[in-house]
Amino acid sequence: MSGARRLSLLLLAPAGLLGAVPAAAQPSDLAVKAAFLTKFGAYVTWPHAPTGPLTLCVVGSDPFGAVLDQAARGQVVDGRPLAVRRLAGPGGADGCQIAFVEGASPARTAEWLQALRGRPILTVTDARAGLQRGMIFFVIDGGRVRFHIDQASAQQSGLGLSSRLLAIALSVRTAR
Amino acid sequence: MSGRFARLGARWPNVPIAGGILALLLLLGGIGVIALSSRSTAELTEQQTQVQARILAATVTAALDFGDTAAANEAVSAFGANPQVSDAAVYDRQGAFFAGYSRAGSPLPRRLGGHSPASGKIDALAPVARGGARIGTVWLRADREPVSRRVARYSLFGVLALTAALVVLILGIGQTTLRRANRELAAQAEDLARANAELKVQIEERGKAEEQLRQAQKMQALGQLTGGIAHDFNNLLTVIQGSADMLRRPGMDEAKRLRFAEAIARTAARAAALTSQLLAFARRQPLKPEVIDLNARIEGMAELLDRALGERIAIRIELEPDLCPIEADPAQLEAAILNIAVNARDAMPGGGTLAIATAAAPPLADGRPAVRVAVTDTGAGIDAAALEHVFEPFFTTKSVGKGTGLGLSQVYGFATQSGGEVHVDSHVGVGTTVTLILPCSERGSEAPPGAERGAVAARSRARILVVDDNEEVGFLAETLLRELGHGVSRATSGAAALATVERGRFDLVLTDVVMPGMSGLELAERLAAIRPGLPVILSTGFSDEIARSGTGGRSVLYKPYRLDSLAEAIDAALSLPDEIAR
Repeated sequence: MSGARRLSLLLLAPAGLLGAVPAAAQPSDLAVKAAFLTKFGAYVTWPHAPTGPLTLCVVGSDPFGAVLDQAARGQVVDGRPLAVRRLAGPGGADGCQIAFVEGASPARTAEWLQALRGRPILTVTDARAGLQRGMIFFVIDGGRVRFHIDQASAQQSGLGLSSRLLAIALSVRTAR
Repeated sequence: MSGRFARLGARWPNVPIAGGILALLLLLGGIGVIALSSRSTAELTEQQTQVQARILAATVTAALDFGDTAAANEAVSAFGANPQVSDAAVYDRQGAFFAGYSRAGSPLPRRLGGHSPASGKIDALAPVARGGARIGTVWLRADREPVSRRVARYSLFGVLALTAALVVLILGIGQTTLRRANRELAAQAEDLARANAELKVQIEERGKAEEQLRQAQKMQALGQLTGGIAHDFNNLLTVIQGSADMLRRPGMDEAKRLRFAEAIARTAARAAALTSQLLAFARRQPLKPEVIDLNARIEGMAELLDRALGERIAIRIELEPDLCPIEADPAQLEAAILNIAVNARDAMPGGGTLAIATAAAPPLADGRPAVRVAVTDTGAGIDAAALEHVFEPFFTTKSVGKGTGLGLSQVYGFATQSGGEVHVDSHVGVGTTVTLILPCSERGSEAPPGAERGAVAARSRARILVVDDNEEVGFLAETLLRELGHGVSRATSGAAALATVERGRFDLVLTDVVMPGMSGLELAERLAAIRPGLPVILSTGFSDEIARSGTGGRSVLYKPYRLDSLAEAIDAALSLPDEIAR
């Protein structure tokens, strides 16, 4: 029984579970989100297989800063290195494959998302900044970083999402 | 049941080796198949476990990647639904425990590779990779074989072993049954053999008894025969002796003397007929067939029959004229007729009629024409049982001393040897008819009887040597030959005869056949060597040697002979000296 209790304790403790995150300190939600951002690319397929580095763009305000750069360093997705760009708005987002969108206001975020709609860009938003949902929508659930997935929107943009990713999502919005 | 198994065990070595080997092979084969399937099952299980580990690795990739312990646990627990999977765990890139499941609830290793190998378990490791990079490891532990399958396999083992055992058992039982049946069969065969042996002994004993019976019957028959012959001979000898005594009396007139002499001659002839019957019965007397006229012969017997049958029996002779001549031994024919007539007489003690009839008969079976002579009496008849045996030698219904039992057997022998048949037809109380059927001769008719009788005088005078060891017979021969006008010398043995012939000149030798020392036949051979061309006549009452080897072409004079037959033989020998000598 003591083994089982220990197991449950272990399961409750998120410490040290994220390989991409430095194990030195308790990773913040932000760091987790940054790590997540660098990993999504492995579970997404784009309509026209892009060449060169996979570009992760932070559109609007950047909550991550160096944490993101740190997380992305050394990351390789399907043999492609991960590059991080920061954009002021959706204007220059053409070269992005993944875009974390966070406007100054929820309205702005919604506007930008609208601007990126239909383009082969995986959009990611954070509930901390408003209720506008990109294709992936970070939330804090049970004290842990989780996400919702809008598969319908991704499909409209011609993106394919891995079922493995869908499997760990809190919810998946489908076309139907 | 245990007793049966004990018995079976005792007989185990006797179970056919082939059956045992077959059962063993079957068992080995089964074990082999099971082992193979077991191995392949084990391999399959290993592969499956590996595959499952990979599946789990793929499933938990995102969960591990995104640190989603709940999702990882969910996925790992899902594998717990597989009864074969006993433990499953996910470790991160650094090998630290991330999520896990244990069926038994036992603690899972904290670090990757921290598990100790367990027997009956299969461990599989699979990398959790994302985009070609290893982000963790899945460890899966599965039971080598599900219990149910193992049970099934062991039951298969059991069934196979049971089958093999059953095969051996059935073979053993079959063998035992067969052996028991064999034993019973052998016992039966033995019984049969024993019964057979007993039967053989019984048959042997029965054979012995029959042999004894036959011997007794033979003795009885011999008794009857000797009794009958003695009786007949005594009668005849009484006549001869009496007549001879009468002849010795002086002063007897010529007519009376002649009557007694004739009585002697007639009686001696009957005695001769009796002995010739015996010999005919013994089949040792050669027949001397002649072409004869049946009617004339019957007619000639009338007087003899008259005397033989007595006054109380009337004789009626009916002869069909112009019958074909027959070829038969006349003496035997007469003896046959006489035998039938005497039997008829004995069947009519109170008197009656004897009818002798001749007639042409239907052709014989081989197509030859034939004549028949039927002798019918009005006597007691013969019952059916006796009728079957009438032709058998020594069969007689007459009391001892009254008959020899040879009469009808002589008739039968005569008829068959003459190429004919004899039939007996009888009704009790009415009478009996004996019918002789004789084939016609293809040669001409006989010379009239009596033509030679007068010619008893010798045609020529000759020097004759008589050889006989019996003084009386030799003396009689000498007397007869002198009466015929020949010159006679006598010798009593073959050696003496040879010496005599060496010394003197002889025209003919008359020798007895049966003599001590040198036999007549030997003498004839020796004489042929020293005096070729000297005729030799063999004289015998009966000779085994002649019956066996013949006379070598020499003429034979059968005893008892009479003056006329002696003269005839002498004349024939002298007229053809060269042929006879050879």
